[in-house]
Amino acid sequence: MSVASARTARVPRMTGWLGATVSTDHKRMGLTLGVCSLFFFLLGGVFALLMRTQLAQPDMQFVSDNSYNQLFSMHGSTMIYLFVTPMAIALALYLVPLQIGAVGLSAARLALAGLWTWLCGGLVMQQGWFASGGAGRDGWSSYAPLSNGTNTPGVGQDLWVIGVILAAAGMTVIAACVLATVARRRAPGMSLLRMPVFTWTALVSVLMVVSAFPILVFAMVLLYIDRHGGHIYTGFAGAIDYQDLFWFFGHPVVYVMFFPYLGAAAETIAVCSNKRWFGYIPFVASIMAFAALSMAVWSHHMYVTGGVTNQYFAFTSTLLLVPAGIEYFDAVATLIGGSIVLRTSMLFALAFFIQFLIGGLSGIFVASPVLDYQAYGTYIVVAHFHYTLFAGSIFGFFAGVYHWFPKFTGALLRESLGKLQLVLMVIGTNLTFFPMFFLGNDGMPRRISRYPTHPGWGTLNLLESVGAGVIALGVLIFLVNVVVSLRRRVVAGDDPWLGHTLEWATSSPPPPLNFERPLPPIRSYAPLLDPRQEGSTAEARGAR
Amino acid sequence: MRGGAIPILSWGTLLLILCIGNWVWNDKPVSGAAATAAVITVYAFGAALWLARRESIRRGPPGPASEPESVPEASVAAVVIGLSVGCALFGLAWSKFLLYFGAAMLVLSLARLVIELRSERSTRQRTAADRERR
Repeated sequence: MSVASARTARVPRMTGWLGATVSTDHKRMGLTLGVCSLFFFLLGGVFALLMRTQLAQPDMQFVSDNSYNQLFSMHGSTMIYLFVTPMAIALALYLVPLQIGAVGLSAARLALAGLWTWLCGGLVMQQGWFASGGAGRDGWSSYAPLSNGTNTPGVGQDLWVIGVILAAAGMTVIAACVLATVARRRAPGMSLLRMPVFTWTALVSVLMVVSAFPILVFAMVLLYIDRHGGHIYTGFAGAIDYQDLFWFFGHPVVYVMFFPYLGAAAETIAVCSNKRWFGYIPFVASIMAFAALSMAVWSHHMYVTGGVTNQYFAFTSTLLLVPAGIEYFDAVATLIGGSIVLRTSMLFALAFFIQFLIGGLSGIFVASPVLDYQAYGTYIVVAHFHYTLFAGSIFGFFAGVYHWFPKFTGALLRESLGKLQLVLMVIGTNLTFFPMFFLGNDGMPRRISRYPTHPGWGTLNLLESVGAGVIALGVLIFLVNVVVSLRRRVVAGDDPWLGHTLEWATSSPPPPLNFERPLPPIRSYAPLLDPRQEGSTAEARGAR
Repeated sequence: MRGGAIPILSWGTLLLILCIGNWVWNDKPVSGAAATAAVITVYAFGAALWLARRESIRRGPPGPASEPESVPEASVAAVVIGLSVGCALFGLAWSKFLLYFGAAMLVLSLARLVIELRSERSTRQRTAADRERR
C-alpha cells in the first residue's frame, strides 16, 4: 500500500503539546479525546460526591435546592455528553484503524474539527457555573416546557443547550469519520467478517451516532429557538414532541455507551482465555439487530405520558433480550475450556458482564408498562441506569484501559494497584447503587434535594454516600496507577498479552502510520492467533 | 473499500423495517419523521460509498489499494474550524462580539482548509506520478 503523507511546506511541523493539538493522527486524536473525557469524568464525579453528601442524611442543608438541581443536571449531562459517549468514541478512534490494518483515519481533518467542536461544547456547558443563576438545572434531558425561557430563565440553561449542540455535532462528525474508515480503509484481506469483535461493536455504535445524534442537535436548536420566544414546544402535544425527539437520541445513546465497552470486554475475555471469541457470526448479527432495535424502543421512556403506543414499544424493548442473551452466551462459551488468566483487565471484564446483568434484568421490569408506571420517577430507575452505565460500561472501560494501556503508552499498568481498584470499585458500586432499588421500591422519588425522616431511608442513603466515596477512592487509585506506571515504566513490549488482533502486530505505542512491518496474513477475525494455533496443532501432530 | 457499504445498507434496511413498524403502530408524525430521517441518513451514507466505488457493495476481502492514500499529519485549519464554531455559538448566549469573531474565524479557517486540501492533492498526484514512473 502506498501512502502519500500530506505534510507539506504549507503545514509547519509542530511538536509537543502544540503538535498533539493540531495532529490528525487518529491515535493522538483518540488520546486527546480520551484524556479530555477523563477530565470531565472526574468533574462529573465531584458533582456526584456533592449530591451524595447532600443526600447522606434526611433534611440536609449542604447545598441549596437550586444548586442541587444544577448538580444533578450537570452530573448527568457531563457523564453522558462529555464522558461515557465520547470515551466510547475515543476508543473507537484510537483502535479501529489499527484493528483493521489502516494507515490512518478517513477524513482526519473533519474528525479533528469535530474533536475541537466537542471540546468547545464541554467547556461551554461548564461555563454555565459562572453564569448568573447558575448552570443548566433541568436534568440531562431538559424536558420542555420546564426548560423554556419562562420556566428556566438565565444564560446557564442557554449555555447548556449550546454545549449539547456542539458536543453532539462534534461526536457525530468523529463517528462519521470512523464509519468511513471502516468502509474504505480496511487492509487487504480484511473482509467484513474478519473484522475484530471490538471493531464491529464500534461500527454499530458509530452507525447509531450518525443516525440518532443529528436528531438531538435538531431538538436542541428548536429548544434554543423556543427559549427565545419561538414557541416551538408549546402546549401538551409540543412537550410530548420534544420528548419524542429527545428520546430518539436518548435511548440509542445508551447503546453507544455500551457497545464499545462490550467490545473491549469481549476482546479482553478472548485474549485472557487464550481462545478466539465464541460464536462470532451470531455475535455480529446480534449486535446489528441489537443496535437497530435500540433505535426503535425510545418511547419506553414515555409510557406514563399517555402519548405513545405502549404495546409496540414494550414489544420492541422486550425483544432486546434476544441479542443481549446471545452476547452473554458467547461470553460464557468463550470462557469454557479456555486457559484463563485472571489479570486486572479480565477481572474488570467479568465484573462488567456480571454487574451489567443486574442493570439488564432490571431493564426487563421497566420495559413493561405496568411495572414502569410503578417505578417511573423513583430511585429504581436511577439504580437501573447506573447499573447499566456505571456498573456496566465503566467496568468495560477499565477492562479496555488495562488491556490496551500497554499499546497506548508502551508501559504496563501495575496489576496490584489495578486489583485494589477493582475491589474498591465493585464494593463501592454495589454499595451505592443496590440500595437504590429498595429506596425506589419504597417510593423515594429521584431528583429531590432533601427527603423527610422515613424508616430506613436515612440508613440506605448513608450507605449510598459511603459507597460513592469508595468509588472515588477506586478512581483515585486508578489515577495513582497511571502516574506511577508512566513515571516508573515497566516496558510492555509490542504484544504483552499474546493478543489476537492487528493492533498487537505493531510497536507500542504505534508509529505515525501505524504499521512499519508488513501485516501478517489476515485469514480470520483473530489474525495473530491463527499462526499460534496452527503451530500448536502441528506440534501436537508431530508428537503423535 | 470492497464491501464497505454492505453493513451500512444492511443496517439501514433493518432500521427501515422498524421505521415501518413504527409508522404502523405508533402513527405519530414527529417520531415517524425522526425515524425516517435516520433511515435516510444511513442510506445516504451507504449510497455515497456506492457511488464513490461500485466495489463497496461487493462481498469479499479488499485487495491492495490501486492508488495512493493520503494521510495528513496535521491541520491548523481543522482546529480553528472547531474552535470558531464553538466560539460563534458561545457568542449566541454570552456576547454578540464572539458570534461575529467566530464567524470571521470560520471563514478564514475554511480558506486555510482549501489551501491544505490543494496541497494534499498535489502531494498525492506527485506520489502517483512517481509510482507510475517506477
